[in-house]
Amino acid sequence: MMHNPLRPTSPLRLVDAPPAPSSATPQPIIRVEDLSIVFDAQRGQIIAVDRVSLDVMSGEFVSLVGPSGCGKSTLLNAMAGLERPFEGQVMVAGGPMLGRRPDVGMVFQQPHLFPWKSVRRNVAHGPRALGKSKTEALRIADDLIEMIGLTRFASAYPHTLSGGMQQRVAIARALANQPRVLLMDEPFGALDAQTRAVMQDNLLELRDRINATIVFVTHDIDEAILLSDRVLIMSAGPGRILRDLCVNLPRPRSSAILTDPAYLALKRDCLDLIRTEGRKAFEQMETAT
Amino acid sequence: MSAGGRARANAARRLSVLVGALSVPAFVGLWELVARSRIVNAVLFPPPSTVAVAVLDWIHSGQFFGDLSASLFRVTAGFAIGATAGIVLGVLTGEFRLVSSLLSPLFHILRPIPPIAFVPIVILWFGLSETGKLFLVVWGVFFTVWLATHIGVHKVDRGLIRAALMLGTPRRQMLSEIVLLGALPYIVVGLRTAVSISFYTLVAAELAGAFAGIVYRIEIAQQNMQTGQVMGGLAALGLLSFVADRSFAAIAERAVWWR
Ligand SMILES: Nc1ncnc2c1ncn2[C@@H]1O[C@H](COP(=O)(O)OP(=O)(O)OP(=O)(O)O)[C@@H](O)[C@H]1O
Ligand SMILES: [Mg+2]
Repeated sequence: MMHNPLRPTSPLRLVDAPPAPSSATPQPIIRVEDLSIVFDAQRGQIIAVDRVSLDVMSGEFVSLVGPSGCGKSTLLNAMAGLERPFEGQVMVAGGPMLGRRPDVGMVFQQPHLFPWKSVRRNVAHGPRALGKSKTEALRIADDLIEMIGLTRFASAYPHTLSGGMQQRVAIARALANQPRVLLMDEPFGALDAQTRAVMQDNLLELRDRINATIVFVTHDIDEAILLSDRVLIMSAGPGRILRDLCVNLPRPRSSAILTDPAYLALKRDCLDLIRTEGRKAFEQMETAT
Repeated sequence: MSAGGRARANAARRLSVLVGALSVPAFVGLWELVARSRIVNAVLFPPPSTVAVAVLDWIHSGQFFGDLSASLFRVTAGFAIGATAGIVLGVLTGEFRLVSSLLSPLFHILRPIPPIAFVPIVILWFGLSETGKLFLVVWGVFFTVWLATHIGVHKVDRGLIRAALMLGTPRRQMLSEIVLLGALPYIVVGLRTAVSISFYTLVAAELAGAFAGIVYRIEIAQQNMQTGQVMGGLAALGLLSFVADRSFAAIAERAVWWR
């Protein structure tokens, strides 16, 4: 869903998200209900996600932020159907996340491109897997490759590309199936600050063109606020959602807002929350060992 | 490095190339001299010239190509069957835990037994037929390729599998493309080892009794005290396995085409 130009462009404010009004609003496309995920480790069980419930509305851009090890990836993987719920459930577009769900796309922290395929064939992989003809799949791929500005590299193999280029290909590949939901796990985490800023602007631009709901994991609070409609702050293990913050910033946004004083004040509040949580997590680890 | 140092390094490199080029001719020449000088028994250690004559006779008699094609057939057919079975079963045991529980213990027990030790039982089972010879080569090749594939499948980047899953890759394509190509670098190493193993087992198979073949010819020549022919046969076998290894290395380089 595109940005609504009629939305009040109120002064920079981070406020708790209001409870979703009942009518005339987009339906939740992702519904996480009482989800717990438990791992078996050597020293007993680890509760990575602890009874988390959340809704993501159709068209929303939601970020998950929290200290390292708090269960962000695990929660996202559960939304992708890559992690089995221990308790509770994940519904995407009304259905459970079981089996193949090509309407849900994923971009991982590492690009994970198929090294034996050219850029073109990597992007065409999804449509081919879904039974589209070769010509059709390659046409989709070429359009997306143009969109990410890598037409010159269409026939190159992944290992000949830089990290940023590879991650762009990974995004294009995930978009090739026209997913209704795009899950992104620290997709820019491995990039340098400069490339990262360019990629963020690219993603904002891209988002206006594709019609997808995006859930974005990051531990960079700037990135989260810049990109999102909502920021979910997770508490340290066991993973819970601590705060659900609505970002009322005008769109289109660019990295320019990052120097706005009001923005900075709000960022400080966010950081304090995360820092307290991080310290708690650290102390828990200390006492556990 | 100083100019003098570089010149010295250059000279050293040129010297080693020269010595390398002379290594085989020098050895053959020395052998010829020693064999002709009657220091050693020329019947047991015939000079290279005698070996060359024996090889020419072998070729002219028409037997050489019969022997060559018999041996080549056993090696290539045995390799193809053993490698295919090894790859297929390696993917299955690597990917499906149940299949692995069923077969891996068995394979791990059978694998360390040297294939040559199976010659007696193979003769009982198959007599002197071609099937028995193929069986030995297949046996030797299979376990090497199976193990390499099994390990390779386990080493396939989990991230690639997850990425492929998220793109809706069907199960069949997952095995035949993502898992197989992901494991390919390991499989290729296993295949290359299997090339030399196929020659070891060929020797065992032909020594066990055959009607044609390079090793068979060596054995016949030995019984007739034709040492020149024996050594000619050894040279032919060495050359054949050298060529096979080198061509496989060249193919292997291209097999993992994306690197
Ligand atoms: N496969 C696994 N087996 C056992 N424990 C796991 C596994 N995956 C994650 N965990 C544990 O679950 C917890 C949450 O991990 P997760 O990867 O979701 O954290 P994260 O928030 O994504 O951290 P980061 O920001 O460092 O990526 C951690 O304590 C981790 O040790
Ligand atoms: Mg993570």
